[in-house]
Amino acid sequence: MASLRRFFLRLANALRPGRAEPDLARELTSHLTLLEDDFRRRGMSPEEARLAATRAFNGVEQTKELHRDARSFRWLDDARRDLRHAGRLLRRDRLFTATAALSLALGISANTTIFTVANALLFQPPAGVVEPDRLVDIGTSGLRGGFGPSSYPNYLDIRERTTSLDGVYAYSRFPQAMSLGGVGTDVGTESVFGSVVTINYFTVLGAIPAAGRLFGRADSDHPGASPVVVLSHRFWTRHFNTDPTLLGRAVMLNGHPFTVVGVASEGFHGTGVRAVDVWVPMNMAAAVTAQAAATLTDRAAHWLLIGGRLKPDLSVSQAAAEMDVIGRTLERAYPEQNRGTGLRLMASSPVPGNGGPMVAFLALLIVIVSLVLIVACANVAGVLLARGAARRQEMALRLAIGAGRARLVRQLLTETVLLFVLGGTVGLLLARGMVSVLVSLLPTLPFPVDLSLTLDGRVIAYTVGLSLLAALLSGLAPALQASKADVLSGLRNDPGLAGRLRLRHAFVIGQVAISIVLIISAGLFLRALQRAASIDPGFDPRGVELASLDLAQAGYTKTTGPLFARELVDRVRELSDVQSVTVATSVPGGFEVRREALAVPGVQPPNGRFFTVDWNVVEPGFFATLRTPISAGRDFTPDDRAGTQPVVVVSESAARQFWPGQDAVGKYLSQPTHGPQGPTNPMQPLLVIGVARDVQSSSLVDGVARASAYVPLQQQYVSSLTIVARTTSGRRITDQLRALLASMNPNVPIMTSQTLEDSIALGLAPQRVVASVAGGLGIVALLLAAIGVYGVTAYAVARRTREIGIRIALGARRTDVVRMVLQEGLSLTLIGAGVGLTLAGATSHVLAAFLFGIPPIDPLTFTGTTLLFVAIGVAACYVPIRRATRIDAMEALRYE
Amino acid sequence: MASESTDRVELLQGTLDLIVLRALDTMGPQHAYGLAARLEQVAEPSLRLNQGTLYPALVRLEQKGWIKGAWQRTETNREAKYYSVTKAGVRGLEKQTERWRRLAGLVDKLLLNEG
Repeated sequence: MASLRRFFLRLANALRPGRAEPDLARELTSHLTLLEDDFRRRGMSPEEARLAATRAFNGVEQTKELHRDARSFRWLDDARRDLRHAGRLLRRDRLFTATAALSLALGISANTTIFTVANALLFQPPAGVVEPDRLVDIGTSGLRGGFGPSSYPNYLDIRERTTSLDGVYAYSRFPQAMSLGGVGTDVGTESVFGSVVTINYFTVLGAIPAAGRLFGRADSDHPGASPVVVLSHRFWTRHFNTDPTLLGRAVMLNGHPFTVVGVASEGFHGTGVRAVDVWVPMNMAAAVTAQAAATLTDRAAHWLLIGGRLKPDLSVSQAAAEMDVIGRTLERAYPEQNRGTGLRLMASSPVPGNGGPMVAFLALLIVIVSLVLIVACANVAGVLLARGAARRQEMALRLAIGAGRARLVRQLLTETVLLFVLGGTVGLLLARGMVSVLVSLLPTLPFPVDLSLTLDGRVIAYTVGLSLLAALLSGLAPALQASKADVLSGLRNDPGLAGRLRLRHAFVIGQVAISIVLIISAGLFLRALQRAASIDPGFDPRGVELASLDLAQAGYTKTTGPLFARELVDRVRELSDVQSVTVATSVPGGFEVRREALAVPGVQPPNGRFFTVDWNVVEPGFFATLRTPISAGRDFTPDDRAGTQPVVVVSESAARQFWPGQDAVGKYLSQPTHGPQGPTNPMQPLLVIGVARDVQSSSLVDGVARASAYVPLQQQYVSSLTIVARTTSGRRITDQLRALLASMNPNVPIMTSQTLEDSIALGLAPQRVVASVAGGLGIVALLLAAIGVYGVTAYAVARRTREIGIRIALGARRTDVVRMVLQEGLSLTLIGAGVGLTLAGATSHVLAAFLFGIPPIDPLTFTGTTLLFVAIGVAACYVPIRRATRIDAMEALRYE
Repeated sequence: MASESTDRVELLQGTLDLIVLRALDTMGPQHAYGLAARLEQVAEPSLRLNQGTLYPALVRLEQKGWIKGAWQRTETNREAKYYSVTKAGVRGLEKQTERWRRLAGLVDKLLLNEG
């Protein structure tokens, strides 16, 4: 009891000193007085008595120290004292505190923001998944590498042959939009995102249900056998208000009846980042996917991502070696469908197969934001050094009266830490806003993403750790320097030490160099974006509205579907803002590109029997709507319909590839019919009626136009379509389209709606993000560097006031003084610029992959940045120069 | 003959607190100087006490709630902080004295047996 009471009192004394100290002083005075009285009583004079008392007591200050040790916790007491002292100093120097804290806040918040994203993508384990680090992704690689989806027959073979995996599951690569209806009294349908998964999907992942059951032994692999669905917890909560009676009820998915059997656990969305509303078992794929019957039998239909769980004690590389062998075996066994493809196995990643590039991209961002933080730290360190110089007298005095060096370093570091805690707190608050800014830089995705960008414990720990590390790094050198104060010269107020100056110069040079690297990187990315914008994409993306739908959801067939599509186009054309409209299966710059195998009579492809082309099924008006010129022949007309000669329009690059130097119009292509095992005989001849300008199809990034073929929807019906409408005003017409569709058939919901520009922007997202991040932060770094140059120059002028005064007195002209000061300031800028340009040259070679052929040493960017920095260096010297030229000779000589 | 310094008793950790508590208990309320004078008188020359070392002992006892300090006037009309033993202090003294006796007895016994 008593010792506990004492502990709390000590703690209280350490935190809030209160009256203990003055009370002790009073007690000691009284003690001495009593001693003195005693000595006087023994016959000493008052003077003698006072001296004798002091001697007898032996050390008032030591006693005070002992008392402090006993009544509170010494280290805590010291820390509190240091903090109060630091707080007072920071309050006194508000401008310094504000600039330093703000620059640190920017650096820290930038780091926190990027780490938040990295945390969500790399470190947060997928929710509801058991031992995610034992999971692997399996992808199909092509001739040029890659990590693509696989077909269901290949999946079955992999599952059969593997010995290194405990379970192998498959799921559809993209969540498919499906229509959901028939729930309760709700009339009409809504669009949901569903994923088709194998029965063992949940079992292998180790998922547990939040309600009901997940897929398992009760369900069969037999096609069509188990019409059941599992809902995601999010969907269950949002749409059904966690209604438990939903279990066992029937819902309609794409017009087929399904029974809800369970709800997955909260947050579960597999290993990826895509949000899913419902999971449908693989055996029901035919009912919900657009490709229908062939999906489970066609070995050439690649639409599944495969994942598995490693057997205990086996490594990823062992499993990868086995998968490589299986891949070769499958290629030999089914050469027609698997030629040129292999199998790759990698540790599971939120972006299957792209873990590497994603990590590299995040690493690039982290490097950028770290550079900014380093600049901010160097800045604060520079200013601290200068302040240290100003406080040399104080330090020397404290050393002289017996303070230890460690004690001084601790006090100075406390000041810095306080500054960084301030910066870190503001930074953490800023980061919240910056995360949403970063998200807004990303174009809207055509499918929902479940990525929790929260400032969780890990992020906060990272920020705190980073702030303290930065404080230590930038505070230690100045603190050591300051505490080194030599007692004698310090008390004499000697001008600054050469070592201190060198250190400060190094800081400024470093700042300039790093900001140059940042600005140049930002410049290069901006130039790359500019270049991308200047490439003629072969179409005009401005003012084009996209809306995707799937007619299979409402039960349209090969005969009714084309009629509905034609009517839809006609009705959309009548909308007030619409200039021209068409429907197509894919749009330029989109995510999903259909590829089709074609034979060209009389031309032998490099390998196999078929050429592969980008395949698009369109209604007449496609080229006019996108403003893609037809360079030869004609566009489709309403007369190209079922029962007439099948026709095709090819792209210029296809025409060049198939018939170099000849007129493509009038030639024939052979389209294989799809058997259960992929493209086979008999062939259908397609007459080439036109040649269209190349469209940068899949992504503007690679800048390569691939061979494309377009066929009319009326002849080759596909149910999954996108309305492509060019508007006169450029206004969004989503609502009008939705209303129109609802009036035509309420069972056909619009799945995604986007502008064409947004759709294209997706491919350039990495460049846009880097340019914005590096550019925004580069400007911050630039300002910080300018402040650094200014600080050093101003300090140099102040230090040389007397020298300049003498020079002026001896007849130096103004221009001489200007030159002298400018030399001092600019030499730092120029050395920094030299270092920075060298570094930037090296960096830009690393970045070359992102730059679409902008030369890494882009003269415009490099020269521009250098000139900018010289200008800033001169600007930073302006105030010091003015001060120097106004130095009055007499006053300067009287200085000190 | 042994030098003065070896004759001087080094106080064991914690024993000063017990001594101070006991002295206050027998003398009644006393200030630090009076306490120091009294201890010097009783123990001199075997215990040479630096008067300052009393203060940590006093603050320790005070924080434990065993003694209480209050400002009063001395007979010579000087102000001084008088410490007095609290009820908890009396109980603490009993317990600590008992502990000390047991420890001293044990040490004694061990020394005798060894001898």
